[in-house]
Amino acid sequence: MENNEQIERFFDQMKKQDEQLDIPVFPEVKTRKFGFWIPAGIAASMVFAFLFIQKPEPIKPASPEVVIITLQQDGNHNQHFTIEERTFLDTWESPTASLLTEY
Amino acid sequence: MNHNQLDHILKAHHRDAYLWARQCCSFKDEMAKDVLQQTYLKILEGQAKLKDESKVKTWLFSIIRYTAIDELRKAGKIVSLSDSYDPVDIHEEVDRTDYEGIIKHLPEMQREVILMVFYHKMTIAQSAEILQISIGTARTHYDRGKKKLKELITKVQIQEDYGKQ
Repeated sequence: MENNEQIERFFDQMKKQDEQLDIPVFPEVKTRKFGFWIPAGIAASMVFAFLFIQKPEPIKPASPEVVIITLQQDGNHNQHFTIEERTFLDTWESPTASLLTEY
Repeated sequence: MNHNQLDHILKAHHRDAYLWARQCCSFKDEMAKDVLQQTYLKILEGQAKLKDESKVKTWLFSIIRYTAIDELRKAGKIVSLSDSYDPVDIHEEVDRTDYEGIIKHLPEMQREVILMVFYHKMTIAQSAEILQISIGTARTHYDRGKKKLKELITKVQIQEDYGKQ
Protein backbone atom coordinates (compact mmCIF):
# COMPACT_ATOMS: atom_id res chain seq x y z
CA MET A 1 0.00 0.00 0.00
CA GLU A 2 2.80 2.38 0.83
CA ASN A 3 3.88 2.69 -2.80
CA ASN A 4 0.34 3.91 -3.60
CA GLU A 5 0.66 6.85 -1.22
CA GLN A 6 1.49 9.31 -3.97
CA ILE A 7 -1.53 8.23 -6.01
CA GLU A 8 -3.83 8.17 -2.96
CA ARG A 9 -2.77 11.72 -2.13
CA PHE A 10 -3.34 12.78 -5.73
CA PHE A 11 -6.91 11.46 -5.70
CA ASP A 12 -7.67 12.87 -2.25
CA GLN A 13 -6.75 16.30 -3.56
CA MET A 14 -8.73 15.72 -6.75
CA LYS A 15 -11.79 14.77 -4.69
CA LYS A 16 -11.35 17.88 -2.56
CA GLN A 17 -11.33 19.96 -5.74
CA ASP A 18 -14.43 18.15 -7.02
CA GLU A 19 -16.34 19.17 -3.90
CA GLN A 20 -16.48 22.63 -5.49
CA LEU A 21 -18.27 21.22 -8.52
CA ASP A 22 -21.92 22.04 -9.07
CA ILE A 23 -23.70 18.73 -9.02
CA PRO A 24 -26.86 19.06 -11.13
CA VAL A 25 -30.11 18.39 -9.32
CA PHE A 26 -31.57 14.96 -9.84
CA PRO A 27 -33.47 15.35 -13.09
CA GLU A 28 -37.18 14.68 -13.27
CA VAL A 29 -37.04 11.99 -15.88
CA LYS A 30 -40.26 11.73 -17.84
CA THR A 31 -40.53 8.28 -19.32
CA ARG A 32 -42.00 7.98 -22.78
CA LYS A 33 -44.09 4.98 -21.80
CA PHE A 34 -47.85 5.49 -21.40
CA GLY A 35 -49.01 4.68 -17.94
CA PHE A 36 -52.22 2.83 -17.27
CA TRP A 37 -54.00 5.93 -15.96
CA ILE A 38 -53.68 7.98 -19.14
CA PRO A 39 -55.76 5.75 -21.47
CA ALA A 40 -58.10 4.91 -18.57
CA GLY A 41 -58.70 8.62 -17.95
CA ILE A 42 -59.38 9.27 -21.64
CA ALA A 43 -61.86 6.38 -21.77
CA ALA A 44 -63.65 7.56 -18.61
CA SER A 45 -63.92 11.13 -19.97
CA MET A 46 -65.44 9.82 -23.19
CA VAL A 47 -68.01 7.76 -21.27
CA PHE A 48 -68.98 10.78 -19.15
CA ALA A 49 -69.25 12.96 -22.21
CA PHE A 50 -71.47 10.40 -23.92
CA LEU A 51 -73.75 10.08 -20.91
CA PHE A 52 -74.11 13.71 -19.90
CA ILE A 53 -73.70 15.77 -23.02
CA GLN A 54 -76.16 13.79 -25.12
CA LYS A 55 -79.72 15.22 -24.49
CA PRO A 56 -82.65 12.80 -24.61
CA GLU A 57 -84.88 13.59 -27.59
CA PRO A 58 -88.56 14.14 -26.73
CA ILE A 59 -90.82 11.42 -28.08
CA LYS A 60 -93.15 12.93 -30.62
CA PRO A 61 -96.71 11.63 -30.58
CA ALA A 62 -97.34 9.70 -33.75
CA SER A 63 -99.76 11.37 -36.14
CA PRO A 64 -102.98 9.44 -36.73
CA GLU A 65 -102.93 7.67 -40.02
CA VAL A 66 -106.15 5.66 -39.85
CA VAL A 67 -109.63 7.16 -39.55
CA ILE A 68 -112.46 4.73 -38.84
CA ILE A 69 -115.96 5.99 -39.46
CA THR A 70 -118.70 3.70 -38.25
CA LEU A 71 -122.47 4.09 -38.36
CA GLN A 72 -124.07 2.81 -35.21
CA GLN A 73 -127.66 2.56 -34.15
CA ASP A 74 -128.73 3.23 -30.57
CA GLY A 75 -131.68 1.77 -28.65
CA ASN A 76 -134.13 4.42 -30.02
CA HIS A 77 -133.22 3.43 -33.59
CA ASN A 78 -131.26 6.67 -34.09
CA GLN A 79 -128.14 6.28 -36.20
CA HIS A 80 -124.88 8.00 -35.25
CA PHE A 81 -121.62 8.27 -37.05
CA THR A 82 -118.65 7.49 -34.85
CA ILE A 83 -115.28 8.74 -36.01
CA GLU A 84 -112.13 7.19 -34.51
CA GLU A 85 -108.53 8.14 -35.22
CA ARG A 86 -105.92 5.47 -34.81
CA THR A 87 -102.19 5.34 -35.46
CA PHE A 88 -102.36 1.78 -36.55
CA LEU A 89 -104.87 -0.77 -37.61
CA ASP A 90 -104.33 -4.37 -36.63
CA THR A 91 -107.58 -5.88 -37.79
CA TRP A 92 -110.79 -4.15 -38.43
CA GLU A 93 -113.92 -5.75 -39.56
CA SER A 94 -116.76 -3.71 -40.88
CA PRO A 95 -119.94 -4.37 -38.87
CA THR A 96 -121.81 -4.69 -42.18
CA ALA A 97 -119.28 -7.00 -43.78
CA SER A 98 -121.55 -9.97 -43.24
CA LEU A 99 -124.12 -8.43 -45.59
CA LEU A 100 -121.63 -8.54 -48.46
CA THR A 101 -120.95 -12.21 -48.02
CA GLU A 102 -124.34 -13.50 -46.93
CA TYR A 103 -126.43 -11.68 -49.52
CA MET B 1 -38.26 -3.53 -9.19
CA ASN B 2 -40.77 -0.73 -9.55
CA HIS B 3 -40.27 2.86 -10.71
CA ASN B 4 -40.14 4.32 -7.18
CA GLN B 5 -37.46 1.88 -6.00
CA LEU B 6 -35.33 2.64 -9.05
CA ASP B 7 -35.85 6.35 -8.52
CA HIS B 8 -34.68 5.97 -4.92
CA ILE B 9 -31.55 4.02 -5.96
CA LEU B 10 -30.65 6.56 -8.63
CA LYS B 11 -31.09 9.46 -6.23
CA ALA B 12 -28.84 7.73 -3.68
CA HIS B 13 -26.04 7.33 -6.27
CA HIS B 14 -26.65 10.58 -8.13
CA ARG B 15 -23.48 12.39 -7.05
CA ASP B 16 -21.17 9.44 -7.79
CA ALA B 17 -23.00 8.84 -11.07
CA TYR B 18 -22.51 12.45 -12.18
CA LEU B 19 -18.80 12.43 -11.28
CA TRP B 20 -18.31 9.16 -13.17
CA ALA B 21 -20.26 10.46 -16.17
CA ARG B 22 -18.04 13.53 -16.18
CA GLN B 23 -14.90 11.38 -16.02
CA CYS B 24 -16.20 9.25 -18.92
CA CYS B 25 -16.88 12.41 -20.95
CA SER B 26 -13.36 13.85 -20.66
CA PHE B 27 -14.56 16.10 -17.80
CA LYS B 28 -17.10 17.94 -19.97
CA ASP B 29 -19.95 19.09 -17.75
CA GLU B 30 -22.69 19.51 -20.35
CA MET B 31 -22.00 16.19 -22.02
CA ALA B 32 -21.95 14.49 -18.61
CA LYS B 33 -25.39 15.93 -17.76
CA ASP B 34 -26.71 14.69 -21.08
CA VAL B 35 -25.23 11.23 -20.60
CA LEU B 36 -26.68 11.00 -17.11
CA GLN B 37 -30.14 12.01 -18.33
CA GLN B 38 -30.01 9.36 -21.05
CA THR B 39 -28.79 6.77 -18.55
CA TYR B 40 -31.68 7.47 -16.16
CA LEU B 41 -34.11 7.31 -19.04
CA LYS B 42 -32.75 3.91 -20.15
CA ILE B 43 -33.13 2.60 -16.61
CA LEU B 44 -36.58 4.00 -15.89
CA GLU B 45 -37.92 2.88 -19.25
CA GLY B 46 -36.70 -0.63 -18.54
CA GLN B 47 -34.13 -0.77 -21.36
CA ALA B 48 -31.48 -1.59 -18.75
CA LYS B 49 -32.53 -3.96 -16.00
CA LEU B 50 -30.88 -4.56 -12.66
CA LYS B 51 -30.53 -8.30 -12.06
CA ASP B 52 -28.50 -8.31 -8.86
CA GLU B 53 -29.36 -5.63 -6.31
CA SER B 54 -25.98 -6.04 -4.61
CA LYS B 55 -24.30 -4.74 -7.78
CA VAL B 56 -26.17 -1.46 -8.18
CA LYS B 57 -23.11 0.74 -8.47
CA THR B 58 -21.34 -1.57 -10.95
CA TRP B 59 -24.52 -1.78 -13.05
CA LEU B 60 -25.08 1.99 -13.01
CA PHE B 61 -21.44 2.80 -13.83
CA SER B 62 -21.50 0.31 -16.70
CA ILE B 63 -24.58 1.94 -18.28
CA ILE B 64 -23.09 5.41 -17.84
CA ARG B 65 -19.84 4.30 -19.48
CA TYR B 66 -21.55 2.79 -22.53
CA THR B 67 -23.85 5.79 -22.90
CA ALA B 68 -20.82 8.08 -22.74
CA ILE B 69 -19.00 6.00 -25.39
CA ASP B 70 -22.03 6.39 -27.67
CA GLU B 71 -22.10 10.14 -27.09
CA LEU B 72 -18.37 10.50 -27.73
CA ARG B 73 -18.72 8.41 -30.89
CA LYS B 74 -21.51 10.70 -32.10
CA ALA B 75 -19.30 13.69 -31.39
CA GLY B 76 -16.41 11.96 -33.22
CA LYS B 77 -14.21 12.01 -30.13
CA ILE B 78 -13.63 8.32 -29.62
CA VAL B 79 -10.03 7.16 -29.30
CA SER B 80 -9.03 3.97 -31.05
CA LEU B 81 -7.91 1.06 -28.89
CA SER B 82 -4.38 1.08 -30.29
CA ASP B 83 -3.89 4.57 -28.84
CA SER B 84 -4.36 3.11 -25.38
CA TYR B 85 -0.94 1.49 -25.45
CA ASP B 86 1.05 4.47 -26.64
CA PRO B 87 3.61 5.81 -24.19
CA VAL B 88 2.44 8.81 -22.24
CA ASP B 89 4.32 12.06 -22.32
CA ILE B 90 3.50 15.58 -21.31
CA HIS B 91 4.76 18.13 -23.79
CA GLU B 92 2.80 21.15 -22.61
CA GLU B 93 3.07 22.68 -19.15
CA VAL B 94 0.52 21.24 -16.74
CA ASP B 95 -0.32 22.71 -13.37
CA ARG B 96 0.28 20.44 -10.36
CA THR B 97 -3.31 21.04 -9.22
CA ASP B 98 -4.77 20.36 -12.65
CA TYR B 99 -5.70 16.81 -11.65
CA GLU B 100 -8.07 16.36 -14.58
CA GLY B 101 -5.42 17.57 -17.01
CA ILE B 102 -2.89 15.11 -15.58
CA ILE B 103 -5.21 12.12 -15.56
CA LYS B 104 -6.32 12.85 -19.13
CA HIS B 105 -2.80 11.95 -20.22
CA LEU B 106 -3.39 8.31 -19.25
CA PRO B 107 -4.63 5.91 -21.94
CA GLU B 108 -8.38 5.44 -21.76
CA MET B 109 -8.65 1.96 -20.21
CA GLN B 110 -5.91 2.64 -17.67
CA ARG B 111 -7.55 5.92 -16.74
CA GLU B 112 -10.90 4.24 -16.21
CA VAL B 113 -9.52 1.45 -14.02
CA ILE B 114 -7.44 3.87 -11.96
CA LEU B 115 -10.41 6.23 -11.46
CA MET B 116 -12.69 3.38 -10.43
CA VAL B 117 -10.19 1.95 -7.95
CA PHE B 118 -8.68 5.09 -6.42
CA TYR B 119 -11.43 7.66 -6.85
CA HIS B 120 -14.58 5.55 -6.54
CA LYS B 121 -13.06 2.96 -4.18
CA MET B 122 -14.08 -0.02 -6.25
CA THR B 123 -12.20 -3.29 -6.58
CA ILE B 124 -10.28 -4.38 -9.68
CA ALA B 125 -12.89 -7.14 -10.12
CA GLN B 126 -15.69 -4.56 -10.15
CA SER B 127 -13.75 -2.44 -12.66
CA ALA B 128 -13.33 -5.51 -14.85
CA GLU B 129 -17.08 -6.08 -14.71
CA ILE B 130 -17.83 -2.49 -15.72
CA LEU B 131 -15.32 -2.57 -18.56
CA GLN B 132 -16.45 -6.09 -19.50
CA ILE B 133 -12.93 -7.44 -19.55
CA SER B 134 -11.21 -10.22 -17.61
CA ILE B 135 -9.76 -9.53 -14.17
CA GLY B 136 -6.30 -10.29 -15.56
CA THR B 137 -6.63 -7.60 -18.22
CA ALA B 138 -8.06 -5.14 -15.69
CA ARG B 139 -5.11 -5.84 -13.38
CA THR B 140 -2.69 -5.14 -16.26
CA HIS B 141 -4.41 -1.80 -16.94
CA TYR B 142 -4.32 -1.07 -13.22
CA ASP B 143 -0.59 -1.77 -12.88
CA ARG B 144 0.36 0.14 -16.03
CA GLY B 145 -1.95 3.01 -15.16
CA LYS B 146 -0.56 3.30 -11.67
CA LYS B 147 3.01 3.30 -12.97
CA LYS B 148 2.24 5.93 -15.62
CA LEU B 149 0.31 8.14 -13.25
CA LYS B 150 3.22 8.12 -10.81
CA GLU B 151 5.54 9.13 -13.65
CA LEU B 152 3.17 11.91 -14.69
CA ILE B 153 2.81 13.28 -11.15
CA THR B 154 6.57 13.23 -10.67
CA LYS B 155 7.15 14.88 -14.04
CA VAL B 156 4.67 17.68 -13.31
CA GLN B 157 6.28 18.26 -9.93
CA ILE B 158 9.73 18.45 -11.50
CA GLN B 159 8.42 20.82 -14.19
CA GLU B 160 7.01 23.09 -11.52
CA ASP B 161 10.00 22.92 -9.20
CA TYR B 162 12.74 23.40 -11.76
CA GLY B 163 10.98 24.81 -14.80
CA LYS B 164 10.30 22.93 -18.03
CA GLN B 165 13.31 20.87 -19.11
